[in-house]
Amino acid sequence: MKQFAPQENIDVPDPKPNQIYRSRFFDREFAFHGLKRLLGAADCSKAGDRHAGLAAQSEIEREVARTLLSSLTLQHLFDHPLTDNDGKVDSVMRVNYDIDREAFASIADLKLGELKDQLLRSSGEEIQRVGRGLTGVMAASLAKLCDVHELIFVAKKVNKTTKARTLLGAPGTLSSRLQPNHPTDDLRGITFLFYWGLSLGTGDALIGLNPAIDTVDNITSVLHHLDKLRRRTNAPTQICVLAHIKTQLGCLERGAPVEILFQSLGGTEGTNREFDITVDLLDHAYRTMLETGPLKDKAQQFMYFETGQGSEYSYGKHNGIDMTTTESLCYGLARRYDPFMVNNVTGFIGPETHLDSFEMILANLQDHFMGKLMGLPMGMAPCFTLHSNITLEGQQIATELLTAAGANFFMDVGLNTDRMLAYFDTSGHDNQTLREIHGCLPSPEYLEWAMERGIFALNGDGRVFRGPNWGDPRQFCESEAEFQDLVAGTPALYGLNNAGPRPANAVARQVRINQGLGREAIHAELRLDDLQRIAPFRVVVTEASSKEEHLGSPDLGARLSVKSRDWLMAENRQVQIVVSDGLSAEAVHHNLEDLLPVLMDGFAGRSITTGQPIVARYGRVKLAEPLAEQLQCDLVVHLIGERPGGDALASRSLSAYLAYRLGDPAVQREAVRFCGNPAVRYEYTVISNIYSGGTPPAEAGGVIVDKVTEILRHHAAGNRLENLLKNKDNEQRQD
Amino acid sequence: MAELVKLIGLDFGTTTSSAVVALASLTKTATGRMELVSPEEIFRSEMVFTPMLSNERIDLDQVKLLVDSWLEAGKVQAGKLFGGGALLTGLTAQKENAAALVRLIRGRFDDALVATADDPCLESWLSFMGSAVGLSRQHPEKAILNFDIGGGTTNLALGRNQQVLRTGSLFLGARHVQLDPGTYRIAKLSTYARNVFAHLHIDKGPGEHLLETEVAAFLNFYLSILDAVGGSITDFLTLPIVKCLIQVPFQMPTDVRDAVITFTGGVGELVYRHLQGEPWPTTTKFGDLGIDLAQRIVQSPIWMTSLRHFRPKSAGRATVYGLLQHSTEISGSTLFLGAPGILPLADLPILGRLSSEDTDARIQEVLSWVSRSSRGGCVQIRIGGQQASLVRNFGERVSRILTEIAFPATLPLVLLVQENVGKVLGQYVTRWGSLRLQLLVIDEVNLRDAQYVQIGASQHQIVPLSFYGLTPESGM
Repeated sequence: MKQFAPQENIDVPDPKPNQIYRSRFFDREFAFHGLKRLLGAADCSKAGDRHAGLAAQSEIEREVARTLLSSLTLQHLFDHPLTDNDGKVDSVMRVNYDIDREAFASIADLKLGELKDQLLRSSGEEIQRVGRGLTGVMAASLAKLCDVHELIFVAKKVNKTTKARTLLGAPGTLSSRLQPNHPTDDLRGITFLFYWGLSLGTGDALIGLNPAIDTVDNITSVLHHLDKLRRRTNAPTQICVLAHIKTQLGCLERGAPVEILFQSLGGTEGTNREFDITVDLLDHAYRTMLETGPLKDKAQQFMYFETGQGSEYSYGKHNGIDMTTTESLCYGLARRYDPFMVNNVTGFIGPETHLDSFEMILANLQDHFMGKLMGLPMGMAPCFTLHSNITLEGQQIATELLTAAGANFFMDVGLNTDRMLAYFDTSGHDNQTLREIHGCLPSPEYLEWAMERGIFALNGDGRVFRGPNWGDPRQFCESEAEFQDLVAGTPALYGLNNAGPRPANAVARQVRINQGLGREAIHAELRLDDLQRIAPFRVVVTEASSKEEHLGSPDLGARLSVKSRDWLMAENRQVQIVVSDGLSAEAVHHNLEDLLPVLMDGFAGRSITTGQPIVARYGRVKLAEPLAEQLQCDLVVHLIGERPGGDALASRSLSAYLAYRLGDPAVQREAVRFCGNPAVRYEYTVISNIYSGGTPPAEAGGVIVDKVTEILRHHAAGNRLENLLKNKDNEQRQD
Repeated sequence: MAELVKLIGLDFGTTTSSAVVALASLTKTATGRMELVSPEEIFRSEMVFTPMLSNERIDLDQVKLLVDSWLEAGKVQAGKLFGGGALLTGLTAQKENAAALVRLIRGRFDDALVATADDPCLESWLSFMGSAVGLSRQHPEKAILNFDIGGGTTNLALGRNQQVLRTGSLFLGARHVQLDPGTYRIAKLSTYARNVFAHLHIDKGPGEHLLETEVAAFLNFYLSILDAVGGSITDFLTLPIVKCLIQVPFQMPTDVRDAVITFTGGVGELVYRHLQGEPWPTTTKFGDLGIDLAQRIVQSPIWMTSLRHFRPKSAGRATVYGLLQHSTEISGSTLFLGAPGILPLADLPILGRLSSEDTDARIQEVLSWVSRSSRGGCVQIRIGGQQASLVRNFGERVSRILTEIAFPATLPLVLLVQENVGKVLGQYVTRWGSLRLQLLVIDEVNLRDAQYVQIGASQHQIVPLSFYGLTPESGM
């Protein structure tokens, strides 16, 4: 098992003042202030780096930066650790310096360009040896110098195998993590997707569920359920529920089968603080698994990390470092725990980090290259949300290239459509298609099981092929009735017919037309005239001046334009209703007519004072805050369109964010005491899933009025309110 | 969301009694509705003879011991049960002290499960839901008529697309003629069997041996009744001897042709076991005519197609599985609980049904019935849509009428609404809290032709409900 150095024992050179990297090309002078700027400019242009002001302005500038970068020695990068905004080396950077010093010494004097050439000439073993001597910044620098062929060629030579119940990453294999997500953790839907995935020959890396509800109770139940299904099917694999690491440790303490421990990682300490993790916590979690994990005697590895370019930027915690480099710093952290799997989900965040297919594909190839170089078992999840310009075709191109590059595994999200997270990822059909195109097989233990079950079979020339039971989830059901019951609990299921390894055309058409509908909902403009017919609205304007700006820069929609700010005066009412499109104007159009009248009746009936309703085009959730400040109301009911996913009807889903302003200093002190954040100014209660297929809008009106009444009565919202209500309930029971 | 909960089904039949305990997951569907899924049987008792002190009295002490042993074996803590049901079925329901047994069970389980007796239509409904509902889901277009043949009664239920349409019950069963095992020597005859013997001119009584022809005549008569009921041959059913065997008349809807026939209960179990290749048990092994009846059913050409192609689940324990899985329904999760303290409510009478199309006079009539009921009551409601205008209009009318009739502020009024509008309807009825009422509005509950409802305490924002006192048109 991996032994890692205590943080305090890892030597990191002292930070140095920014150096200016200069170059002259023909008659033009180029200067990059500091390594961070040079690294940013040397990368291909991506939305997040452009918004952060780090991307090169032109191709020439980029190539100059790359030329400069390739002339720097590894020792130079070593000597110049990137710092946080206070000029300090943070814990993630420190851990990145826990490298094989001998390996580093062998390349320290090489220039980056020379090392790149050396890697292209080296064997896989040699690349791995060198990789152990690299920090994340060094690996990222190399990625920026490589073209597409090079990113694939180098990575392809590296095999990183890991072993739990199954062996992952052996040459000639392509594994998959089955992700049976359901919007409400409905066990029937989870079970169906579990069975379906197994029937498609996926899940050999992991059955890993992203939960809808992150509590120890729920996660424990779901873990036991997955464990039951694994035992029932006898599939050689391992299970995981991707809750927060603290929740999973709580489950482990209760004896739940936490076989593989998951956590999302950020490439800066600040980002990890947002994730509520520290290096110390991860160290503790690793040791706990080593001592008490259920697979401790079977598995050689048991940690699972997810990363993806742009999370540091989207949290505003990137410290002026570009997305590729912060991603690589995640790998330097992940490496500390010798993980069983690392899954890269670049593309998940949205157009603010990766605008289109090209940016997403290149980023994925870079990530895979850097991870493999640093010795990680990289699985890839090239993915997209409907509010970016990434398409399914772009995502598929990424998977073909990543398979060529030797990715250890992909995801299996049924029909590409994640039913909980409203995004699109690889499917079980994609995995099998890629296996057949590239001549890959699942992990050996899983293959043996799947051959016994007729999921795979040998064809005439002795090659493994889809067997008679491939793609048929009924084989795991005790009866047709059970099968139908599971189907009934699974949304966005358009059929089980296949054509070769692909879903049949009729199925594919439904998937795609629903994606089209979702995109249409996102790009639809709010019809203000129609809304004015429901109630006389006041119209305010955000800082986003177009749909494109709104989608590409989330922060603009969270701010009021100067004109609107000046126009709104303090009214000192209790409640202000605000309507905005968010990521689906159609959600507003379909629900407001039945929702708003109930809210108005309810607030009047409860004698709660309200201001004239407000509508804002291109609004984000946090727009509630500047509005509450201007109007000096106690609470904003912000009705906003949710991000559409793959279910056609769900593109009409609206949320109500109840933003409670902590205007009273005594109340604010209570809130600080509860959450520990001295800067807290608002508490939020969210009522989501408002549409005809979830909570119908009229009923949601009743729910919102009740919740608003509770918030105002108890001077608390969010978890603090629920806590107060729970305590009150317990007191009453005791009485 | 997932939480494991425990359910129990207890069936005290004419001949045998049994219990099943299951663990199920309370889960939230994509629409936000909670449902019980993946029930997994963790304990199934032996079928034991229902303890009797005499022909007319149940041995309550023995039943108590029996129930305790089941609870221990199923690791059930009475206070921690989510739901389920206990039913006195067949002729057991007609014993002198049936009501005392119901009280015993209710007390044992703190009203966590519904316990009732003499509810033949509920029994029919449960046996369909406990066995044939899977077939019905598989073949939603087919009408399925299930005969649950027990020791004392045969319960009929006709369903389509997982909904029971009609129910009925007959005093026909395997155990009206009790025999010495291995022979056809009569040990005991029920009153019903004596009447049939008289009708068929079989002049035999206890101690005497039945001839093969007499057994055949008796069973043919039974089968003719089943066939007549299933095929709506009404002439035969009007014969006085047949009429006295009918507990609850079954009316085959005129638009149903070629219903698939299934059999459950002990006789049904024998039928399907044989069809699966198991040999018949030895002659009159169970001391009654159950095996012979099963043999006749298998030989009958009338049911051959159905028997060959359609097989219900757990035929032998249809009722107890029905009790386990279908006696507890779950409400929607956005309820109006204006008086949560009044839960749980047992034996709440269902006094009427209203829709948004009803006149004020009709609404007033139904609400007045509730106001005159000393325990309060329940009204089933179908609004006809989920639009705000419909709900507001209906809610405000109900509110006005409640004020006009001075509905007592302390009397429980429960509205069971079909649509997902419970919370908002309650708000309009109480005028956003200003009208003082003990009002509960529980939504996403299908309308049922039942006389009573039992409503459990609220948990996870839902309440469990059980209907009983079903009428022949129960179901939808």
